[in-house]
Amino acid sequence: MTRVNGSNGKVPARTPPARLESGNLVVVGVGGQGVILASNLVSQVLLDAGYDVKKSEVHGMSQRGGTVVSHVRFGPEVHSVMVEPGSADWIVAFEWEEGLRSLSYLKPNGVALVSTERRIPPAAMLDHRDQSLEYPALGEVPFGVLALDTFAVAGDAAAAVPAVAQTVLLGALSVLLPFPVEAWQASINAWVPRKALTGNLRAFERGRALAPEVRAAEAAARTVARTVEPGPEVVPSASASPVEHDGAKRSRDGVAERLLPVVRIERSWCKGCDICVAMCPEKCLVLDELDVAVFARPERCTGCQLCALLCPDLAMDVLWVPADDLTGWLFANEEDRVRAAADPR
Amino acid sequence: MSLDVVSRPPADVPQGGTVAPEARADDVLAAARGASWPGASAEKHFLRYGMMPHMLCPGCGHGIVLDAMLRALARRYETLDDVAFVAGIGCSSRVVGYVDACTLHTTHGRPLTFATGLKLARPDLEVVVVTGDGDGLSIGGNHLIHAARRNIDLTCVLFNNEIYGMTGGQLAPTTIPGAYTSTSPKGNHEQPFDAARLVEAAGGTFVARAQSFRTRDFEEIFLRALEHKGFSFVEVMTDCTEYFGRTNRLGNGADLLFSQARADVAIEADLAGRPTLQEVPARPVRPVMEMGVLHESRRQTLEEAMGLVEAGS
Repeated sequence: MTRVNGSNGKVPARTPPARLESGNLVVVGVGGQGVILASNLVSQVLLDAGYDVKKSEVHGMSQRGGTVVSHVRFGPEVHSVMVEPGSADWIVAFEWEEGLRSLSYLKPNGVALVSTERRIPPAAMLDHRDQSLEYPALGEVPFGVLALDTFAVAGDAAAAVPAVAQTVLLGALSVLLPFPVEAWQASINAWVPRKALTGNLRAFERGRALAPEVRAAEAAARTVARTVEPGPEVVPSASASPVEHDGAKRSRDGVAERLLPVVRIERSWCKGCDICVAMCPEKCLVLDELDVAVFARPERCTGCQLCALLCPDLAMDVLWVPADDLTGWLFANEEDRVRAAADPR
Repeated sequence: MSLDVVSRPPADVPQGGTVAPEARADDVLAAARGASWPGASAEKHFLRYGMMPHMLCPGCGHGIVLDAMLRALARRYETLDDVAFVAGIGCSSRVVGYVDACTLHTTHGRPLTFATGLKLARPDLEVVVVTGDGDGLSIGGNHLIHAARRNIDLTCVLFNNEIYGMTGGQLAPTTIPGAYTSTSPKGNHEQPFDAARLVEAAGGTFVARAQSFRTRDFEEIFLRALEHKGFSFVEVMTDCTEYFGRTNRLGNGADLLFSQARADVAIEADLAGRPTLQEVPARPVRPVMEMGVLHESRRQTLEEAMGLVEAGS
């Protein structure tokens, strides 16, 4: 637990604005997204405004991409650092699943700003459903939840440092808190590393420009409990039809049955370390938008096995398959290949 | 109404899977035993499939070494029922959890002591000790030299990533001079252990060093170490991408692997480019290490001396 303010029991130097006496904020996300930095940043704004602020965080699993939760409580005098379930005025979630998980902290009329970014933890892949994870349906949600595609909103502001995209959520949060934009900018200046400063300020502006949507969510939260349809779910996409492959160029002399190499990738094991992409002499492999290796150019593969030998995740195998069966063997990877061709990295 | 999503909804993620829900029970069992997919290479069948994917960081060399060890074992054994893996504490030691053999995850630095007991109780087992540079050379350094002195018939693989990876990138006894770690922010002033020569001097009868990049070479060396009667020690250089690589700005996993191939020239050059620090007497130079089998000899093993196995077998 980290205490931000040392003024326990003392009268704050400046009187907080009468409009907002106290509040509870929960910031959630996964390791590496900047949850702690964001809550530090908000705390700084609150401290500068004269509140007593206490912040606590749980970040034990962050280095393995695990959950990170930060509670920020402020008011004239704060005693407990923890936000009780059902008492958070605002939730800022940097990750979709963590956002859903943390909704129990929200007040009935609280507002949750949730990024649609998804970081699927390795443990969740244990059911071996390639990269897919059934997120819980929202069901009946009696409060305002605003889902933000932070990357799309941030746009080029997050081009250099992807983590900057989440600052959009702070921009949106700033709409709900009665502090001048200068206070936020000063806090960003004080906390954010130099290299990411410009991007953060721009992403913050773009988030703040979402004021109408945020206000709408706030207004919705104030209405009585309403029934909401289940949120965006993982929809199984239609199976791609097998594509004919001409293996004629890759026939191996002296082999009666023509065998062709196929790289089989276990997508749920791949961590996207880029080694196979860098090592492949024929550049057959690419990483897709989920940072998973795909066998994008089967026609160039020579079957040298470098990728399989050097895969740290043991996710690859090079199979020699009869040319006649090639489509069947490629079928497992076909969807990936099509996707990668559409969006090469 | 649906949830308000600004800009666009989350991307559709296709469903798919190795084990279909209607799969028959024996299919599920086969999957659990390691038959991960049709045509999977032999070593994949030695994995505890339910434990995968492993917890190692993206690009970590330990996974490459694990794969090579399993390949060598697949050439020697059909099942791993008579193979015991013993490991201590650390990133390296975690890999035994993914091997479908008899495995023992022991206390920090003591895998060799547990393995000694195991080998004396069950001389018929093939005992492989997996340890790391922090585990085997630092806290367990004494156990290492005494296991070598006793010449007990174990195969010890020491994953040398030159840093304490699991605990946050602290200085290890193998960190190269000048390298930056979380406990040497001004560069390392200490000389690293030459683990292979240490074991040779202590009496190990098979001593080798390999690289994760030259994974086929390591596979051959490990196979020879398994076949050797007596204390076999293989030091394998792997890369810590998250702590060693990132702290010293050596790039990602692929860059680190390539730097192994270039005989450490890249690492020297890269470290030499860092701001000069007067306190560091010599610029960081990772010694160009000899690779391959460095020492091989035959003398009475502990089991032979104790009469547990026939001498000269």
